[in-house]
Amino acid sequence: MGVLTALLRVRGLTKTVGQGRAVRRVLDRIELDVHAGELVAVVGSSGAGKSTLLHLAGGLDRPDAGTIEIAGERLDGRSERVLAGLRARYVGFVFQAFHLVPELSGEENVRLAARFGAHAAQGPARAAALVDALGLRPVARSVPSQLSGGEQQRFAIARALVNDPALVLADEPTGNLDAESGAVVLALLREATRDGRAVLVVTHDAAVTGSADRVVTLREGRLLCGAR
Amino acid sequence: MTRLRRERRRVLASALVTVAAALAVGVSTTVGYALATGYDRAAQRSDQPDVLARFAPVRRSQLDARLRRLPNVARISYRGEVNRVGLAANGRSARNGAVHIVHGGRRGYAVVAGRDLGSRSGEVLVERGVATAWGLHVGDGIRIGGLGTLRIAGIALSVDNVAFPLAAVPRVYVSAAEVARRFGRERDPVVNVALVWLADPGRLDITLSAARPAIFGLRTEQLLTSRGVRQAIDQAAGVVIALLVVFGVVAAACAGAMLAAGADARVRRRAAVLGIERALGASHAHVVGGQALDAALVAAPAAAVGLAAGALLAIGPATTLLGFLNEVAPGASLLGPMAGVYAGLLALVAAGATWPAWQVNRRPIAALLRGGDLIAPARRIRGGARPAVLGARFATARRGRWLGSVVVLGVAIATVLLVLAVADLLVALRDDPGTLGRRYALTVPGDRSDLPAVRAVAGVAAADQRTTIEAADSFSLTEPLRVVAYRGDHVPFEAPPLQSGRRLRSAGEVEVGDGLADALGLRSGGQLALQPVSGRELRFTVVGIVRALENNGRVVYARSARFERDDPDLGGPIAVRLDAGANRGDVVRALAAAGFAGRASTGATASNRSFLGILATVLRTVAIAIGLVCLAAITQALALTARDRRRALAVLRASGASRRTLGTLLGGAAGAVLLPAFGLALALERLVLGPILARFTADYAILPLRSSGVSLAVVGVSLALTGAIAALAATHTTTREPVASGLGRPD
Repeated sequence: MGVLTALLRVRGLTKTVGQGRAVRRVLDRIELDVHAGELVAVVGSSGAGKSTLLHLAGGLDRPDAGTIEIAGERLDGRSERVLAGLRARYVGFVFQAFHLVPELSGEENVRLAARFGAHAAQGPARAAALVDALGLRPVARSVPSQLSGGEQQRFAIARALVNDPALVLADEPTGNLDAESGAVVLALLREATRDGRAVLVVTHDAAVTGSADRVVTLREGRLLCGAR
Repeated sequence: MTRLRRERRRVLASALVTVAAALAVGVSTTVGYALATGYDRAAQRSDQPDVLARFAPVRRSQLDARLRRLPNVARISYRGEVNRVGLAANGRSARNGAVHIVHGGRRGYAVVAGRDLGSRSGEVLVERGVATAWGLHVGDGIRIGGLGTLRIAGIALSVDNVAFPLAAVPRVYVSAAEVARRFGRERDPVVNVALVWLADPGRLDITLSAARPAIFGLRTEQLLTSRGVRQAIDQAAGVVIALLVVFGVVAAACAGAMLAAGADARVRRRAAVLGIERALGASHAHVVGGQALDAALVAAPAAAVGLAAGALLAIGPATTLLGFLNEVAPGASLLGPMAGVYAGLLALVAAGATWPAWQVNRRPIAALLRGGDLIAPARRIRGGARPAVLGARFATARRGRWLGSVVVLGVAIATVLLVLAVADLLVALRDDPGTLGRRYALTVPGDRSDLPAVRAVAGVAAADQRTTIEAADSFSLTEPLRVVAYRGDHVPFEAPPLQSGRRLRSAGEVEVGDGLADALGLRSGGQLALQPVSGRELRFTVVGIVRALENNGRVVYARSARFERDDPDLGGPIAVRLDAGANRGDVVRALAAAGFAGRASTGATASNRSFLGILATVLRTVAIAIGLVCLAAITQALALTARDRRRALAVLRASGASRRTLGTLLGGAAGAVLLPAFGLALALERLVLGPILARFTADYAILPLRSSGVSLAVVGVSLALTGAIAALAATHTTTREPVASGLGRPD
């Protein structure tokens, strides 16, 4: 095995939520590396801090302590403007509830994200190629309300991949899908790692954990097992 | 209350919106009420007589004997008015002062500071306008030509004219006893002013009809009824009051829309909580009533603060304006309308919360518990995924709210355009004689014997004596009117546009202003019987109806020949029309060389100029106030859109959208409201509000009430800035929270 490149490097990550007596430490000095070509699944009970970890890893929220690096770029302490640029360049998000913009067609949702990337001019071509590659051409002009859950999630994955990110962060991507659609989505995420991307998936789905290169468990704010 | 404490920030935001809305309503209510009722308060306080008549000097007993015979007379007081008296105090002076010698009885003025004239010697009352303009106080001294320096015992207010310096003559009052002490007592003094109070003011017409034969033989210079005074005052303030009423309606509409939209958004956000309350057994009425109570609890202190601040802000300028009109500020009587407005605001807020709560509650409880998407299923938009287009779609997703915002802003912007148009008109009235239909550029004091010399001056194209005569319709003596008479054709000097009929061609014909024609039911071909305040009745054939601004359109254009037959001393300044291309300054110098003091003809009289300027400033201030209301409305509309689409914006940010992209998107949302609102405003101003206001404020003339290109450009640029500020504010609010918060609660 060659030298592994850690596309996501998390050190001493700590996050508390609530105020006063209701304060709770949801993440406590978390250490985590996710390497290129690796699909890592994060499991844990509800409220364990899985989504919080994902949000912090993608620069969607700010930690109380610790450092986060994506492709060698530190996220902690950066301004919102810099974080937006780093997200556009390095990170793609997939959400459980898809979160497509309801007024735009599936393909336009993909194109919208392409506007924010480093190569916006090639965005439409790349969006079209992804839509074709994911088998979505027949429904490309449909708005989300006309699409099935599986189709919406495939568009969401296309949106996450359109800027060619190094890291894909997926929050329960199969949580709202039937088994068949879930399998298609999982296959797409798996496929994404073959291009050298790192994929971090928060999940309760056994199929996802079964397909992951590594499974880590969050319990009481601590990462309990991270063995490969 | 617990719920309100938990949502402290949102409650504070709602309260701030309420304060802003109430402030706008408070300002408009204060100014509108103060101006609409100022005259009545002043008239009541000063015990205004029903008729004020000015005569040539006459023995009091002679005048009293005639006036006592009139029917319906309750009381009469007399004054001696001495004009062109030198007055000087506090470093200020005037040569055209008027001294009113008060001969006991009812006063017809109010003492607003100090005390009335009594038995003490060496005392004088000073008119409020003079005291304000010259900085005089009770106890100060004022030097009066022929009387020496007298001590100011009090400040007096009288409503028979506007105040100095708007009225060109500074006025003081001294007692007849004071004059007697200086010049000796007369058993039957000479007077020239009679103040008449009627037993039944509603029967004024009867008294005036009887007055004509009773005062025959006395030279009557002015017969002023309380109604005539009111008309003159309304002429000055009518446009402003009408505009302030429109402003008040707009402010209330904006405030209502803002408050209702805020309450609506809050209720919709709490849909899931409402669902839980319903699932736990709370009744429909309990849930809806709870929302209304919450909203009212937040609005109660905020509306009180806003209204109080608005009143405090407006009362100063309103009092100044009232001072110019010799009227009285409302004082504690403002509390009544303010209480009504306060109750109305609370009801509006409660209704704004009740309606959406009722609507939300109609949905199945299960749907509420899911917290379902509160925006209707979206249709695909054209224009692709460009941020500005997407922003526009976000803004229009809630059709009802979008339409409401467009209509409210459209009406507000139309009002701004209208207010600016009126301000422009006032400035034109002040500066441009052409606005009043005047074609003469100069006036020269002189009499008819000077006409050949004036006409001979280089640069003078035409000159004629312009005589104005105060009169009344013989059949309706309470309808005052003004006759503008030239010896020859008046058209070269002033040509108000003909509405119907033709121009007069002989001394027996007249053109009548639209305002007078409406009041008396006159048409071309009809007869007009005129009763000048001095002289006998004259009858004319009406040959044309003209649109004239002067004297509210209650004006008659005639040849002076028939009036001169009755009064050979009839005078007036010489109106001078210049040659095409002649320089006014050169002609003034040439007139001076010929011994004539030429004065520029302006749109308004010199004494009105400053007042018109102040009105224009007040109106522009009102326009700025409405502009701020627009800013608040669009900021709130954008904030609501950003809150509704919080998740979509968070997804965009998660995808790497920069602050600039979000700004463009929210700018597009602002544009989606402002552009149609501006279009609507233009249509409203040109087709609806402008014509209505023009008729409402001056149905006797065509007012060029149409916003100028400059005003349009100013409003357009201001709107663009407003949209940009609102978009920046919404962008700032959106990007201040972590992206994760916008995506929903993480586990």
